[in-house]
Amino acid sequence: MPMFVEDPANFSKSRLKSDLVAHNVKLPPAKSKKEVYVELHMQHIDQKKTVEFSSDEEVEEDEEDDMEGEDGENPGDAEMPDPSALTDDDLKAALLKHGVKAGPIVASTRFLYEKKLRKLLQSDGHHGQLNGAKNGMMYSDSEEEEEEENGEDNDAESSAEEENKETVEESDQADEESSQVKLCTQNGGFTYPQCFLPQMRRVQAGSQSVAANVYSSSSSSSSSSSQTFSITEMLKEMEGRRSLSTSANSERAFNGGNVQHHWSQSNRLDMPSVVNRTMKNQSLYYTPKAFPQEREMQEPVKDDFKHLFPAEITPSGIYATRRRPIKGAAGRPIQYMYPDTPVSPMTLQRRDVERRLVPVHIQILVFVTVTCLLYLIYVCVEDNTFSPIVSLLDNLNPGSNSGEALLHKTEAQDTPALSEWE
Amino acid sequence: MSTTSQKHRDFVGEPMGDKSVMALSGIGGILGKKLEEQGFDKAYVVLGQFLLLKKDTEMFTDWLKDVSGANSRQAGSCAQCLKEWCDAFL
Repeated sequence: MPMFVEDPANFSKSRLKSDLVAHNVKLPPAKSKKEVYVELHMQHIDQKKTVEFSSDEEVEEDEEDDMEGEDGENPGDAEMPDPSALTDDDLKAALLKHGVKAGPIVASTRFLYEKKLRKLLQSDGHHGQLNGAKNGMMYSDSEEEEEEENGEDNDAESSAEEENKETVEESDQADEESSQVKLCTQNGGFTYPQCFLPQMRRVQAGSQSVAANVYSSSSSSSSSSSQTFSITEMLKEMEGRRSLSTSANSERAFNGGNVQHHWSQSNRLDMPSVVNRTMKNQSLYYTPKAFPQEREMQEPVKDDFKHLFPAEITPSGIYATRRRPIKGAAGRPIQYMYPDTPVSPMTLQRRDVERRLVPVHIQILVFVTVTCLLYLIYVCVEDNTFSPIVSLLDNLNPGSNSGEALLHKTEAQDTPALSEWE
Repeated sequence: MSTTSQKHRDFVGEPMGDKSVMALSGIGGILGKKLEEQGFDKAYVVLGQFLLLKKDTEMFTDWLKDVSGANSRQAGSCAQCLKEWCDAFL
């Protein structure tokens, strides 16, 4: 980040502190004056800077010249692109330019105002730049040079295709961004997370356009037969995509030899995202292939299930198959059998007793016969004649006169008998 | 009425006096310790920082997040607490 000579005296105490910490310099006691920090800063950090500067003097001088040139050309973009290099007053003035009334810029507030200024500069950078993919005036120093280089490269290239230009620019920028990342981290411990966000976006933007180029070219090649989902075509497409990634191009002839080189460059950086996209599109292409397979799959599955359904069709449509017997308690032989009708013990006793005793009907019959017999005996006792049974039978007959006559005779016979006895 | 915590109400209800940093809404034990390490041992010092930033809650939250590692909710709560205190007593 420090591209030009900075005066540590302009820094705030917190800035000096953080710089010292970043360069692993032992901090002086907390309440020491700023001058102490400045001295330490100049001792350690400036030494390091001179070492760096000696190797890159020419480059930095050029950059400084470019910087001044840029300042002249673009007054509106940024007075001094690095807010951390500004004095407190300058920082305040810069913020005021952006319409921010800053409070006192003190040790504790300095960092916040620098951050704010950076944000404002970035937003200006967004609006000011024509190229939509560019972010961050903080990178404007080095980037504008790179743009010039890219412009020259683009003019030199004979290929009229815009795709190539984009890939060239983005691949180069991606490379330089990676170098800037390193610079960013080295920058006095001020790690700005914002650094990485635009880079990420750019990488993704680059990869998107790169991927778009891939598929625009691939689709154009296969546009004629895009409707058919033949397996051979899909294999070709997949092979085509794989070959792109491995830089053995089947589309080399299509795009010219320029793309290949840039593919290899960009692929190093964009590999994961491109791979993801290839994977996604491969999955998209796989689905039509899967359809015939799925249909094939479904048919045998259906056949398997059909045999389970019964041949008859019930009106309600409900099929009930006999349940398999449960293994376990139901399968075991019956150990204890219950009687069909539950019977109490009293009834059982009664039944036993009744079996032993004489049944009622028989008792009545016996009674009747016994009474008849007794009556006959009574009649016999009453009537001494040897044929009482006959008389009874006669009595029973409707002809009752003969019976009376017999009775009289018997009485007459009896009376003489009785008289004889006397 | 926005949902304010009891801590918030306690702080805003009276002059902060010599209260510790932990009395600020959103500042718990860990954050309070971090602030104390940085030198902000009392609530009025944090108030000082808030006032330095011209009572800008956004800048104050950024600062607080940077200094103590507070999350957005905690920093916002502290900023709001201080703002209300200032409105009441300053």
